[in-house]
Amino acid sequence: MEFMQYFGGVFEPLSFALLVFGTVGGLILGATPGLSPTMAVALLIPFTFQLQPTQGLILLGAAYTATVAGGAVSAILLKIPGAPANIATALDGHEMAKKGQGTKALHVSFLASGVGGVIGVLLLIFLTPILAKWALAFGPPHLFWMAILGVTIIGSLDSKSFVKGLLSGCLGFWLSMIGYDDIQGAQRFIFTDALTGGVNVITALIGIFAIPQVIEMFAKGRKQVVVSAIKVEKQSLADSLKLLFQNIKALSIGTVIGSIVGLIPGVGGQIAGLVAYDQSKKFSKHSEKYGTGHPEGVIAAESANNAMVGPSLVPLLTLSIPGSPTAAVLLGGLLIHGIFPGSDLFENHPQVAWTFINSMLIGQVLMVIFGIWIASYAARVAQVPSAIMAACVMVLAVFGAYSVQQSMGDVYIMAALGIAMFFLEKFGFSAAPLVLGLILGPIAESNFIQGSMIANAQDGPLPYFLFGPLNIFLIALVVLSIAYSFVMSRRQVAQNVALQS
Amino acid sequence: MNCKKIGAAIALSVLALTSSAVRAADYPDRPISVMVSYGAGGATDFQARIVTMMAGGDDFLTQPIVIINKPGAGGRVGWNWFASEADNDGYTMAAYNIPHFVAQSIEGGVKYSTDSFEPIANWGSDPAVVVVGKDSKYNTIGELMDFAKENPGKVTLSGAGLYVGHHIAALQIEKASGTKLAYIPTKGGGAAAMKAVIAGDVIAGVNNLSDAYRAQSAGNVKILAIADVQRNEQFLPDVPTLMESGYDVDDSSVNFRGLMVPKGTDPAIIDMLAAKVPAMFESARVKKQMDAGGSPLKIMKRDEVLQMWKDREVYLTELLAGLK
Amino acid sequence: MNTQRAQHLFPALCVLLLAGTVTFLSFTREPADAFLFPRMVSVVMLGLAIWNFYRAASGLSKVGSGFTVDLIKTIAPGLIVLVLYVFFAAKYLGFYLSSLITFFVLFSLYDPASHKEPRVWVKRLVISVVFMLVIYALFTLLLKVQTPRGIFR
Repeated sequence: MEFMQYFGGVFEPLSFALLVFGTVGGLILGATPGLSPTMAVALLIPFTFQLQPTQGLILLGAAYTATVAGGAVSAILLKIPGAPANIATALDGHEMAKKGQGTKALHVSFLASGVGGVIGVLLLIFLTPILAKWALAFGPPHLFWMAILGVTIIGSLDSKSFVKGLLSGCLGFWLSMIGYDDIQGAQRFIFTDALTGGVNVITALIGIFAIPQVIEMFAKGRKQVVVSAIKVEKQSLADSLKLLFQNIKALSIGTVIGSIVGLIPGVGGQIAGLVAYDQSKKFSKHSEKYGTGHPEGVIAAESANNAMVGPSLVPLLTLSIPGSPTAAVLLGGLLIHGIFPGSDLFENHPQVAWTFINSMLIGQVLMVIFGIWIASYAARVAQVPSAIMAACVMVLAVFGAYSVQQSMGDVYIMAALGIAMFFLEKFGFSAAPLVLGLILGPIAESNFIQGSMIANAQDGPLPYFLFGPLNIFLIALVVLSIAYSFVMSRRQVAQNVALQS
Repeated sequence: MNCKKIGAAIALSVLALTSSAVRAADYPDRPISVMVSYGAGGATDFQARIVTMMAGGDDFLTQPIVIINKPGAGGRVGWNWFASEADNDGYTMAAYNIPHFVAQSIEGGVKYSTDSFEPIANWGSDPAVVVVGKDSKYNTIGELMDFAKENPGKVTLSGAGLYVGHHIAALQIEKASGTKLAYIPTKGGGAAAMKAVIAGDVIAGVNNLSDAYRAQSAGNVKILAIADVQRNEQFLPDVPTLMESGYDVDDSSVNFRGLMVPKGTDPAIIDMLAAKVPAMFESARVKKQMDAGGSPLKIMKRDEVLQMWKDREVYLTELLAGLK
Repeated sequence: MNTQRAQHLFPALCVLLLAGTVTFLSFTREPADAFLFPRMVSVVMLGLAIWNFYRAASGLSKVGSGFTVDLIKTIAPGLIVLVLYVFFAAKYLGFYLSSLITFFVLFSLYDPASHKEPRVWVKRLVISVVFMLVIYALFTLLLKVQTPRGIFR
């Protein structure tokens, strides 16, 4: 129980003040469209220049924890996921907010984040040495199959039309290939200068989710809406806790999947929420309610998101390998202070290492407290007249898209994708599979190409991609997942036929 | 405040801002961005953050420097943007990596060359090193190369991308040893290439000295050789150079990093930056943090950098033509 | 042919054309190595696009609400403002001026309150300015994002 003896460090006045500052700041940054946790942490690094290493890390750790949860705020209230991690949260969360259940959605989202987050950090504390070996077991062929496994959940993200869901996924894959190819440096599908840098996931996320939202608000026209008609339901904390424990299954699925996916370097937390959402839907008795404002969806997605935070740091802290983009930024933040993650960190700077980890534990709790506190105020966003809301989201989308890489090209891409998505959505195409394709495309491609190159130098691609226990296990999961989706869609067709006759 | 006053203020500020002479004299009056064409947390990124952290001080630029990352395709995305779209008003600088951008411009398909940019100053030089995993059966570069000779094309070697320093070092090693290696460029830069070595996905790797030094002190890798003309006495005094080991590989893959502005920037601004930026790199705090990160400092003034760019361009053109 | 089927044909045709173009480009561009993955994806995409087109042509595509003349009339002004703002004004007028104007115009276009009352106009202007101040505090002061300044440079 080495970590217990360093708890004091977290509660020193300056450290605790930084923890609170990091948490509140992280929530605000996370809720800002365009600011993913990675960018938020990078933005805070200059603040750590003036601080001791331990204190700097407390700030970064707290901010990382809080931005991941803060992304849920804009996902729920505005349907703009703050980061890829929050896409799944938006699916049900925003539907709840539209029904006036914004407070409830935010409550369960923060509570689920807290539970998942604490368990994730505890895994980091107790199982680091075992998990580290596990994280390294994933080589290029396994990451390729992981990406394919991710693709198979497209079918269940889009309940409306199977073909159009898959087609949306393909469009996402294609979008991810635009620009310079990362490995060969070849130029692909660059029709205009704005596309040379490719389609950034965060930019696309803002466009694909926010712009159709803005246009839908235009569509309401100048109708006189009686404001009191959208009632923001009050929600007591006790009720929310009860709701959370009634959905313990979704919570467990989310936490377990988040921890596992978070551990795998290169796949990272981007898809943890979506995979958990999909699995919890498949195991739920009320799978038909997903997508209509069902709290289970929010719980599964958000617990997975924050559960991934702790394990995603395992490869970084033990082997000095950043497993996710955010971990890479944290690595930079450590190096600036002359601290090398790895065995050196725990042997020679245990004070730094454990205070950092403990601060994330306390940070999760603080995040829940502040999150719950702002929930009932934040939920009133639903009462803002649609004319103002459309204008707000429009301007935020432009500023958010620009600030990702300070590039005007990104703003054009954002708007063009958004307008196209509005048009396609009117005909049954959907945004979530498209974004999933955009995220998984590069993972699948780079690992496929890299794997093939390694395989060609060894025994050839077939044994490299197909043999070995981990490959076989992942391929089995892929087959199972496809079979399951197929059976479910057949059953649905049969049900529809039965209903019609 | 009444409308007239606001109007007058706006008119004044428009006048003030549009006059170039006044702009140079006031420069800088707002934060300056530095574009890094690699991801946040990579070696170039965190070094750029360290060397620019003193910028806000009164002795230096008096305005803070903000880092923007535009990663992609071994740096091509960021430098393309910098050459074609960045404002040349002095508020947008970029980090350069030599030999990366020079080699890429020689290979073609990009919108930049050494003529597209004006260097300000150099902050560091990071030689490429050859690494293997800690459990690897190879303990010297000779053993690895002997295996490569017997098994042409079987030695997989990870590196950060095509036509970056790592790739050039790998090409030089192939040529010098007369072997064929399987160079595996990774997406995600040096960190991903290092992960491939540690996890055993590849047999060996070429990586930055700074990253390899850290991985070695964490006990994850063995460093076999350094691609430079002399040993690195500060961090790796025991690691032989490739030349010592009998492979004719010089320092052309050494990664020089520094700051630059786009062509067409006001000469007054360039002079001002060229005078103040090296002083900023030299400050004691920067040196301390760079040492702590295992990153060799090498400060060069604008004139030296201009010469270095020219030399490298001539040299790399020859080298790449010979390696094909 | 009913209007719903005709409406679904249009996006299906667009996607089919896109898939066709992508497939054509993937198989004709060099270097072949770099287009290996695009080839695999584009073939799948083309197959799905053909299937989707077939479904639309035979009236099987039913999901989605489609467009009505009323809908197009209501969203047209907003869309025009959106396009002008993003593709022209933001760069040339600078982010802050163009955003302020856009906010004010969009708000006024879709605000149910009467356009005849001067007080309504004052309220719209005040809200627009306050919102832009919040944006300024967040992006420029806190995050130090340097937005395009357009004519004010």
